[in-house]
Amino acid sequence: MNLIALSLKGLRRDLRASDVRALFVALALAVAATTMIGFFLDRLDRGLTRQAGQLLGGDLVLEQGQAFDDELRQTLRQAGLELSDQVDLVSMVSQADAFQPAGLKVVDDHYPLYGQVRVDRGNGIEGLAHGPPPGSAWIAPRLAQLLDAGIGDTVQVGSLSLTVTGLVEREPDQQGGFSGLAPRIMLNLQDLEATGLVRPGSRIEYEILAAGPPAAIDGLEGRLDALRDAGVEIRDVRVDRPSLGRSLDRAQKYLSLAGLAAVLLAGVAVAMATRRYVDRHLDTAALLRCFGASQRQLGQLFAWQLAWLGLVAAAVGALLGLAGQAALLALLTRFLPLELPPPGGMPWLMGVLTALAVLVGFAGPTLLRLKRVSALKVLRRELDPIPASGWVVVVVASLVFGTLLWLYSGDPLLSVGILLGGLVALVVLWGLGQLMLTLLLAVLARLPQRSQQGRAWQLGGRQLARRRNASLGQLLAFSVTFAAMAIIALVRGDLLTTWQAQLPADTPNYFAINIQPQERDGVETLIDSAADATSGLYPMVRGRLTAIDGEPPQQQVPEEHQTDGALRRDLNLTWRETLPEGNRITEGAWFDAESGSDADSATASDGSVPISVEEELAGRLGLSLGDELTFTIGSDSVTGRVTSLRHLDWESFQPNFFIIFPPGALDGFGHSYITSFHLPDAGNEMLGEMVQRYPGVSVLNVEALLEQVRGILGQVTRAIEFVLGFVLLAGISVLYAALTASRPARAHEGALLRVFGAGNRTLARMQWAEFALLGFASGLLGAALAEASALGIYGWLGLAPRMHWLMWGAMPVLGAAIVGGIGYLLSRGSRRQAPMASLRLLGET
Amino acid sequence: MSHSSDDQQKRILYANQLGKRVTSGERELVILESLALDVERGESVAIVGSSGAGKSTLLGLLAGLDSPSSGELEMFGQSLSALDEDGRAALRAGRVGFVFQNFQLLPTLTAMENVMLPLELSPRQDIAAKSRQCLERVGLGARLDHLPKQLSGGEQQRVAVARAFVTDPDLVFADEPTGNLDEATGKRIIDLLFELNRESGTTLILVTHDMALARRCDRCLQLEGGRLQALERQRQEVDA
Ligand SMILES: Nc1ncnc2c1ncn2[C@@H]1O[C@H](COP(=O)(O)OP(=O)(O)O)[C@@H](O)[C@H]1O
Ligand SMILES: [Mg+2]
Repeated sequence: MNLIALSLKGLRRDLRASDVRALFVALALAVAATTMIGFFLDRLDRGLTRQAGQLLGGDLVLEQGQAFDDELRQTLRQAGLELSDQVDLVSMVSQADAFQPAGLKVVDDHYPLYGQVRVDRGNGIEGLAHGPPPGSAWIAPRLAQLLDAGIGDTVQVGSLSLTVTGLVEREPDQQGGFSGLAPRIMLNLQDLEATGLVRPGSRIEYEILAAGPPAAIDGLEGRLDALRDAGVEIRDVRVDRPSLGRSLDRAQKYLSLAGLAAVLLAGVAVAMATRRYVDRHLDTAALLRCFGASQRQLGQLFAWQLAWLGLVAAAVGALLGLAGQAALLALLTRFLPLELPPPGGMPWLMGVLTALAVLVGFAGPTLLRLKRVSALKVLRRELDPIPASGWVVVVVASLVFGTLLWLYSGDPLLSVGILLGGLVALVVLWGLGQLMLTLLLAVLARLPQRSQQGRAWQLGGRQLARRRNASLGQLLAFSVTFAAMAIIALVRGDLLTTWQAQLPADTPNYFAINIQPQERDGVETLIDSAADATSGLYPMVRGRLTAIDGEPPQQQVPEEHQTDGALRRDLNLTWRETLPEGNRITEGAWFDAESGSDADSATASDGSVPISVEEELAGRLGLSLGDELTFTIGSDSVTGRVTSLRHLDWESFQPNFFIIFPPGALDGFGHSYITSFHLPDAGNEMLGEMVQRYPGVSVLNVEALLEQVRGILGQVTRAIEFVLGFVLLAGISVLYAALTASRPARAHEGALLRVFGAGNRTLARMQWAEFALLGFASGLLGAALAEASALGIYGWLGLAPRMHWLMWGAMPVLGAAIVGGIGYLLSRGSRRQAPMASLRLLGET
Repeated sequence: MSHSSDDQQKRILYANQLGKRVTSGERELVILESLALDVERGESVAIVGSSGAGKSTLLGLLAGLDSPSSGELEMFGQSLSALDEDGRAALRAGRVGFVFQNFQLLPTLTAMENVMLPLELSPRQDIAAKSRQCLERVGLGARLDHLPKQLSGGEQQRVAVARAFVTDPDLVFADEPTGNLDEATGKRIIDLLFELNRESGTTLILVTHDMALARRCDRCLQLEGGRLQALERQRQEVDA
């Protein structure tokens, strides 16, 4: 089509113009940021699920004390799952006259479903996707040491002799069962029978590990429920993901936020650059009108021109984003499984969509001006069409940005909220800006004007205040820019501090569970002898929620949560006098406010038992203060009234409980104890003693998990820093676009002032003063905006809100330095020219 | 400025062997060549010439807005070539006024603010009063707070005239001040220009291609082939 060719030609000529370059850079940055973050989050999410599956041994794990029947395996396979059988037990292993209790991990030929076993078979450590073949055993280096056995030696397991053919450095699945603590030996399932260890009464865990798509697992829901009821323990990767959850959730939210900030900034840059673009093309548009182009054709011509620009920018941006996410992932690979899913198609689409949306939303209203240009303008220069009102631009841009928000967040209410909040903020900022400019004029009028310097400031300030609308536009754009940059930087800082505080060096790396009441003191003493930090012992009673306010819970909770896991399995209940460390009451009050510590007063004033419920569970089940919950424990039941909701850190590596009763309320129910503690490397012998003295106690080593959490947080930190850099770049692009857009007007003014006798020095000082004042004011307004938005954003991220005094001091100064600096440099060119040349450029010859 | 001798005080502009060449691409373009000019205080001088003759270029040189390629140039007895950009600007400040063909008002400033601008470059107290007075003089006392786009072309040019005279300059340059106006409006602007010129005893350099206009000046010079040559002497008639 003719118009398309014409638009391409026009664009090619235009590429030299600074506003077109600014448009291009801004769009490419927006697309790069969204695609980068989109790709990254997408792959990270899928990668983490995969990794969690690997840690668990599969996407779904069934476990019970007796062998599973083949009918079940058949069902699972038919549902599309890949299966692997595994048996865990503890037994003595010997070599010559050395005896050692060891955890046996008996695996079939499908093991491992995910990942690889890192094993040394005599030629260095290699990664293998299978377990030991029949007749051989792979053992942990520690067991090798204890037995003084090496590769090629024969070990005795039960009544079977096996040849050691490998030393296992790392298993992909590190879930420690009850045998998790004892040094490991891995053998083939075909050899199990021959060991003679499978006898009635032996403590054996049978597991089916299953891998497959979520849909396959969902399809089995009914069957799994029945199995749960029959006492099978079932772990689903999506529910029982390791406790990285909250931290990564925050990181992901942060990254989305940063992506949105980049888009917003790019949008502002586009809006600024478009104004200049349109101004520059008004003459062309008028000429084309003269030659007989219709408004429609004119609109199409320029729309095409920008569409080309947008498409090329989107392509470049998407490639940049792809490279960026590869860099981000490179930062993370150490902690992610090697077979990370490839980049999906969605982020590409979102990237291009973002570019077009930003163009339409932020450039569209201004662009319409070109269409409305009158052919008469060719004769009468002053016949410019009225510029689109700033508010029209803001409203249209807001609508588009809101739609993007909705698309990204999937939450219409949140998007509308943010949008309305943003518009209110803009109106307030606009008012404040008006006030500031008026004040500026008033102050300047009272300033003594003796010195050259003082006069330059006065002149600069006055020009700024007089160019009221343009200045207000820039003030708003820069405030939003600074605020966006500040928020991304602030949140980053507070996020990192929170993470560091969350996992101090003595974070527990072991859990001990199943401690019987009579073992309690002994175990506590033993742990205290070697651990340098412990959570203390918590009693644990397992009970199922069977009534809310006397009705079956399914009838009481919101519909979408009727199948919630918390209603289908036993919950861990505890009792406690004081609020556990790291827990925070969000509603209601802790017990001791209304009841004493002695058992008698374990009842509230109205005679019911007070209980404290974890806030997220309460949210899901629609529980609120005053609700009555009934738990069935064994054949008995206990009822309590919710008197407080608690927030707790699931990643704290402390025993955490959904429900806490006051002391005394659960007396008489069977209970065991649980504790977590931090054991320095030197304390390992204590564990051996514990296994021997308290064989019933299960000790779980979460060191690997802890390391993984720490590692991932460290890497995500770097990713966040990387993204912060992107947002800062987007911010700079706004400054560049805005200052570029206002350059001709300032050059005009500068040339005139020089004609009137302003020297270069005066001009330079004046321009610096003007930009610095603009930057200072923007910094101040930006700080206010950032502080206000931080209130909401911190709540959303689950961070404690605080005032950022440093920012209030730093932003105006930095703003003055940055805007002043960039403005000064950008206007240097026009100062260098002879005034005659500047005038000639303005068409005055 | 020190005006040491009588001679220098009388002589406001002096050019000798003035040349201006520009290179555009490969080719060198000679705009002005061996041009001579001598203007005394209080004179009004018209420079006429066809479009593209180099009138604006000459005006720019005379005002120190551009540097000549060769030759001597003095303003208020000061050699312009001895001064740098800032020095030339300082020489102009408060003493030189300009009226342009395209008015060259700043679009974001009101009429009043536009007129105040040249005054604000140097320290003084009565800026507002002086500007208002000047705008009243050109008949725009009621339009002080209007933006240029709210004014007609003729009104805009009157603001520009007020701006040129507000500093009580010694020298006013006008580059085709009626070029963008219809005949009647243009005539009113020129009348105004001459009135103000007479009232304040300023020296006026008027560039135009309108011979009728040019004849109203004391002296009329034609720019042709890069040189100036006198057209007529009318001073005696006017004086008489
Ligand atoms: N910087 C320059 N570069 C190239 N050509 C120039 C430059 N300045 C002036 N000219 C040329 O010199 C000639 C005289 O220009 P000008 O002084 O504006 O003429 P006038 O004002 O008499 O119409 C024109 O042809 C113009 O194109
Ligand atoms: Mg000219």
